[in-house]
Amino acid sequence: MSRPLPHCAPTRRLAARVSSTARALAVTTLLALSLAAPRAARAQTLEDAELLRPRELTATVMYGHDAWNAYWEGALKRNNDNIGTLSTNSVAWSAGYGVNDRLTLLASLPYVWTKASEGVLHSMQGSQDLSVMAKYRLLLTTVGRARLKILAVGAAGVPTSDYTPDFLPLSIGVHSKSVTARAAAHLQDEMGWFLDGYAERMWRSNIKLNRVGYFADDQWIESDEVAMPDVAEYRGTIGWQSGAWCVPVGFTWHRTLGGSDIRRQDMPFASNRMNFTMAHAELMYWLPGVSNLRLNLGAAHTLAGRNVGQSTTIMTGLTYALHL
Amino acid sequence: MRFTSERVQRAVSRRSSIQRRRVASIASAAIAIVSCDKTITAPSASLPAIEASSTDSAAGSWRMLVLTTPDQVVVPDPTATSSTAYQAELSSVKAAQAIMTDAQRTNVQYWTGAGVLRWNEIERELVARYNLPPAPTAAGSYPLPDAENPFADPVFPFSNPPYASRAYSYVSVAQYEALKAAWYYKYKFNRPAPSKVDPGVVAAIPASTLPAYPSEDAVLSGVTAEMLKLLFPGALEEITRKAGQEREAAILSGRATASDVAAGLALGKAVAALVINRARADGMGAAAGSPVMWKSLSDAATAKGEISWLSQELPIRPPLLMNFGSVKAWTMTPAEVTSLEPEPPPSTSSDQMKADLAEVKKTVDNLTKEQLAIAQKWNDGAGTYTPPGHWNAIAAPYIRDARMSEVRAARVYALLNIAMHDVSVGCWDSKMKYFNPRPSQLDPSIKTVIGLPNFPSFPSGHSTYSGAAATILGSLFPQGAASFDAMADEAGISRMYGGIHYRSDIVQGKAHGKRIGAWVLNYAQGDGVN
Repeated sequence: MSRPLPHCAPTRRLAARVSSTARALAVTTLLALSLAAPRAARAQTLEDAELLRPRELTATVMYGHDAWNAYWEGALKRNNDNIGTLSTNSVAWSAGYGVNDRLTLLASLPYVWTKASEGVLHSMQGSQDLSVMAKYRLLLTTVGRARLKILAVGAAGVPTSDYTPDFLPLSIGVHSKSVTARAAAHLQDEMGWFLDGYAERMWRSNIKLNRVGYFADDQWIESDEVAMPDVAEYRGTIGWQSGAWCVPVGFTWHRTLGGSDIRRQDMPFASNRMNFTMAHAELMYWLPGVSNLRLNLGAAHTLAGRNVGQSTTIMTGLTYALHL
Repeated sequence: MRFTSERVQRAVSRRSSIQRRRVASIASAAIAIVSCDKTITAPSASLPAIEASSTDSAAGSWRMLVLTTPDQVVVPDPTATSSTAYQAELSSVKAAQAIMTDAQRTNVQYWTGAGVLRWNEIERELVARYNLPPAPTAAGSYPLPDAENPFADPVFPFSNPPYASRAYSYVSVAQYEALKAAWYYKYKFNRPAPSKVDPGVVAAIPASTLPAYPSEDAVLSGVTAEMLKLLFPGALEEITRKAGQEREAAILSGRATASDVAAGLALGKAVAALVINRARADGMGAAAGSPVMWKSLSDAATAKGEISWLSQELPIRPPLLMNFGSVKAWTMTPAEVTSLEPEPPPSTSSDQMKADLAEVKKTVDNLTKEQLAIAQKWNDGAGTYTPPGHWNAIAAPYIRDARMSEVRAARVYALLNIAMHDVSVGCWDSKMKYFNPRPSQLDPSIKTVIGLPNFPSFPSGHSTYSGAAATILGSLFPQGAASFDAMADEAGISRMYGGIHYRSDIVQGKAHGKRIGAWVLNYAQGDGVN
């Protein structure tokens, strides 16, 4: 039985040249891209249905830069001269480990810093949320001449510092603990074309603010505790991989399942209904002459949104693989 | 060789199964963290009805503030409890109680004995809802909210701190006046509560000897709804519904009949009309000022050799309610307002100001977690019930725990909110007189961790409100005096942690507030309340 090739990992030709243990390492990029930074980086993921090979260990570092100068105040798209351009930078460290053919574990921790180009609001920075993810292959089969893989993915996130969620849009995150369940599918043909996608639901814990109360859902809530609505996200990607190259492009639909709009001329709030639709493209390339090292590039742009900035994001980073 | 290989495979398999179990246990722990009930319940939502510790039977003789006498509004004589008409009203009460729904029971618990506290909560929510500054137009100007067109953009009102302090004071004063008048008539007519007349009427709380005519709940519903409709016209539907629910609760709680309610409603509305006459003539209509006034304030500061305040918003926004210092105070003449004001701030070119500025910069750039928490706790900025609302909220549990009668509770809020309105007048008058720049204007490298208020710096409004509020509440609730004073200090220093005030703004502001607080306590002397 021939062993299936992970997509966006080295092909057999490349694998013969570099170490075979370098296969499949690209998967860590998924976590680096999808869980780093507040939401900019969530825009892009790679190889959602990818698994590391047994006893493969990967390390990825990704730098991300996200910026917007227009945002949606509820449904109203506007600029704000007192913010100018809001930029979010992040450096995310990730590690991945292939437990066996079916199970891959991942962890990621970004450091994030934000800045407004105009106005008087103070920049914020800090270590954001640690994410851990387990990906389990439920099914591997062939459909005609293509290979189909179905995965169940579980993830959890927890803040690693006491950054404030009460200073959006400059807060580096919303400081909620989360659990995510995701179903992912990947279909790849012999030519290297692939389709993949996922649907996920994220459950979020309530958060605490340093306040006596706050206005949300059209009422004053005399409490320091904020109920955080859950989140659904859907992604579809089409791509092609050959030799050292892999190029996926796609769309992401992010929907917050509750929460209220930013009111006219109000500041954003952690439990707002933050929705967005984003287009993204990535490029991964195994560096010639260097074993086990891959360059990752990504870009994304928000097409439509609600209570979020219209971000444009670029990301770049390296992934290194080691076979234990 | 094969044996070794099998052992390795078993070891690998064992290891991965352990890891799988670990993953599962981490995941289930995480699910336990986030899957709990997310419902947020406000602490006051489920409070039981309040049984007042005293009927305050002399309250009809407490000094009036706006009305001349407690009988300025005439309340007609009630029918006798033996009359056919009254007996028919009792039958209606019993019939209504017999078919009370759970929602009505909850409503009775919500209102009974707590009308002043409930309306204060409702008003704080309205202030928070309407406390958003107008957005700029495409042309870069800021349209004024229009009371005659409250649903437009910008909505009316923008309930910023001076607007809110005035609103709280008008509602509290009107309630206090109406309840003193109600108490006067209650003890003039001495009509007992329905449950005292007819044992078949169920009392929600043990019936006191407080006479029922006119109903204090109906008085409160009428006076408060009229005041709130003036101040928050866009919320008419919600205000009217709440007022109706309060009157329904009066009947279903066994404390009033239809005629008690009708007399109370009429009295409340009539008192509101008298207080509204004052409100219409207090100068609020001119509080927004004008471009001419703005320029003259700025020029006056420059003429003194000072750096004059500049709006740091874009587009440039006029200073908030620049003429609020000319709004009529409750307890002070304009000359008295001036006499209580602080000494001038340090000159913008002084060493003192340089040192103050350096302190702000150093503080906000090295903020501890605790300092940020304090800055956020007292931020009370856009979308909140403002610092005056915060002090109303602080007073609420003291009023509740003392089980005050409605009229005594109204007095607490009247004195507190009179003081905070008068603070707004005095503080805004000082702010515009000195037109002092914010730290982030003098040093653009200073960034703030809370919103930067768009009006001059000196003195700190938070500190002034808090100094006055702590003085009033400390006098009314001596057991809390030390705590109120500590809160006032924390509220004041929170503004330096936020990066928006110098220490001198805070120190002078608190002292100014304490002077106004003492002034209002002096004003209340001899009002007949013991």
